[in-house]
Amino acid sequence: MDLRLPSKVLEHIFSFVDSNEDRNSVSLVCKSWFETERLTRKRVFVRNCYAVTPAAVARRFPGMRSLTLKGKPHFADYNLVPDGWGGYAWPWIEAMAEKSPSLEELRLKRMVVTDECLEKIAASFKDFKVLVLTSCEGFSTDGLAAIAVACRNLTELELRECIVEDLGGDWLSYFPETLTSLVSLDFSCLDSEVKLSDLERLVSRSPNLKSLKLNRAVSLHALGSLLCLAPQLVELGTGSFSDKLDQEAVSKLAQVFTELKELKSLSGLWDVLPEYIPLLYSVCPGLTSLNLSYATVQMPDLVELLSRCSNLQKLWVMDLIEDKGLEVVASSCKELRELRVFPSGADVDETNVALTEQGLVYVSEACPNLESVLYFCAQFTNAALVTIAKNRPNLKCFRLCVIEPFASDHETHQPLDEGFKAIVESCKDLQRLSVSGLLTDKAFEHIGRHGKKLKMLSIAFAGDSDLMLHHLLSGCESLNKLEIRDCPFGDTALLENAAKLETMRSLWMSSCGVSFGACKLLSEKMPKLNVEVIDEHSPETRPDSSPVEKIYIYRTVAGPRMDMPEFVWTKHKNPEIGVSHLAIE
Amino acid sequence: MEICNSYSSSSVDSTNPSPSESSVNLSLSLTFPSTSPQRARKQDWPPIKPRLRDTLKGRRRLLQRDYDTCLFVKVYMEGVPIGRKLDLSTFSGYESLLENLSHMFNTSIICGNHRDRKHHVLTYQDTDGDWMMVGDIPWEMFLETVRRLKITKPERC
Repeated sequence: MDLRLPSKVLEHIFSFVDSNEDRNSVSLVCKSWFETERLTRKRVFVRNCYAVTPAAVARRFPGMRSLTLKGKPHFADYNLVPDGWGGYAWPWIEAMAEKSPSLEELRLKRMVVTDECLEKIAASFKDFKVLVLTSCEGFSTDGLAAIAVACRNLTELELRECIVEDLGGDWLSYFPETLTSLVSLDFSCLDSEVKLSDLERLVSRSPNLKSLKLNRAVSLHALGSLLCLAPQLVELGTGSFSDKLDQEAVSKLAQVFTELKELKSLSGLWDVLPEYIPLLYSVCPGLTSLNLSYATVQMPDLVELLSRCSNLQKLWVMDLIEDKGLEVVASSCKELRELRVFPSGADVDETNVALTEQGLVYVSEACPNLESVLYFCAQFTNAALVTIAKNRPNLKCFRLCVIEPFASDHETHQPLDEGFKAIVESCKDLQRLSVSGLLTDKAFEHIGRHGKKLKMLSIAFAGDSDLMLHHLLSGCESLNKLEIRDCPFGDTALLENAAKLETMRSLWMSSCGVSFGACKLLSEKMPKLNVEVIDEHSPETRPDSSPVEKIYIYRTVAGPRMDMPEFVWTKHKNPEIGVSHLAIE
Repeated sequence: MEICNSYSSSSVDSTNPSPSESSVNLSLSLTFPSTSPQRARKQDWPPIKPRLRDTLKGRRRLLQRDYDTCLFVKVYMEGVPIGRKLDLSTFSGYESLLENLSHMFNTSIICGNHRDRKHHVLTYQDTDGDWMMVGDIPWEMFLETVRRLKITKPERC
């Protein structure tokens, strides 16, 4: 008896399977399930653009409507990946234009996107709706104009922290009068002024507009008139909040804010003047997300604002909030889930010393739903970490950046080993961890032993020896991404745990003691990995014993990549000549 | 990389330095990545994204600005003997400057590019003493060189 379900029935069943993790499992069951699943998958996520070829993805998922791609490794955010390393969007866009012209959504993170890419998108995908570029670079405002003019059904255009060649604000005027479908627009990372009248007209003809994030150049005065046209906004990113307004304008603006009944998320607020903080009071009770990373006001003003945000779930703020301010957050924002505290100075010596470990302890005590933390701080103690761990065993993401490298517990002068031990022991569901401060190999022994659910781990200026890496690679079962900088281990642990690397998405190591010889050996041993040695200052002929600057190792089914710059070495390059064999052929 | 070299040489030895020892060693040779003398390279510590880093640097520049060559400038309207004083650092760009001035002097004022008979034009005196049309140079550069402002009658330009 043939027990196979007809594919139409399978298709119908699979249409209820949303998560890609589940779909990946489904596709492993048998051939017919694999076939049916691939034909019905609409949203495709490729978390490393070099792990698979664009052609293979296009072939496998002919019904693709949405593609999400990530390019450069995470440490590229902090200037650790040299320019020209890679992460080009073009081959993907070209392949999709040919094989998946029904593509509607493209979300790219840390990729190089050129104007040609944007023009190709505009020309190739007739029903294109969503373009979200996060931490991307390589394009200019001309490319944006191409998207604006051609994508008739555009609903989302978001540029999140991109580096854009800004040729002026004209691009906005290219949105045709017929475009009325806009739901989300984010141009907060651009510098140039856009023409206010164009922006006002765009906003007035977009009844579905829910999210608007302006750039710094949009004045406070302009904000007033824009908000009058879009009282239905759920997310607002203001421009500069610092123009001098007269009394009449101020009260008009206050009135406008009271009309924003749906507002849940607020950001921008560049250079906000203390006297304008009260303008925001009316929206505070409704806010679930508040991003004050650019609001350089002092603690008393921040406290006035935050004490009114009783429903806040996500708070990003500068260390200007100080311990006292976090105490107020702890008592006022009981729904808090995510807290990020950024440094207010770009250099180590400029950290605000009125923010200490105590601030985070307050919040961990009082906010039962706190599960995600990013905290920049001048110093920390083991006692504080132990307390935080005890208070918040439900933490899923804990990223502590003690800004001074190798800083020990400032009370006991001990390494922070015990503190991080408490964190990994107590927080059984911890998925992401960043460690800092003075740490010995013992800290990593604890992490290896207890961090069983840990997927992503970031380490800087820590450890004593190879043991550190060995503990992590042999202990952390769920480890997916490991990024390490300035740690003193060598070759042994890496080579001994080579097999582990195939179970992970990627490993980044920079300024560690790994030798060129070890990299070559690893390459030979593990053909399913791309072992990239990134070394901008290396001589043409490199002795095997010399330590390499940076290594990026990732699993791939795509084989060696064809777009490597000269400062990236893989085993496919002739180390003597420094030229890729493939290029010669 | 100075930090790494001093560490890796000690880890090759069988005796690892104690944490306090190694931090003393390192603090002697410590150069943070951002100030490595080996080459001019982009700052990579603390680990914050470029936009935040630029904003913080800009803020530091603003706070350290020499207040003699300050951001408070005198503004005169042609034909009006009493002037006003304005803190240019509170504006985000030319647009907000013009809006505010128009409001302050109760007349419409524009930048040089779009002039016509009806509107007043904003001009400024720079560090050389010359009178120039406002709006030609990037805002940041303008803030560095402006000394005073004058709102002139249209025919004069």
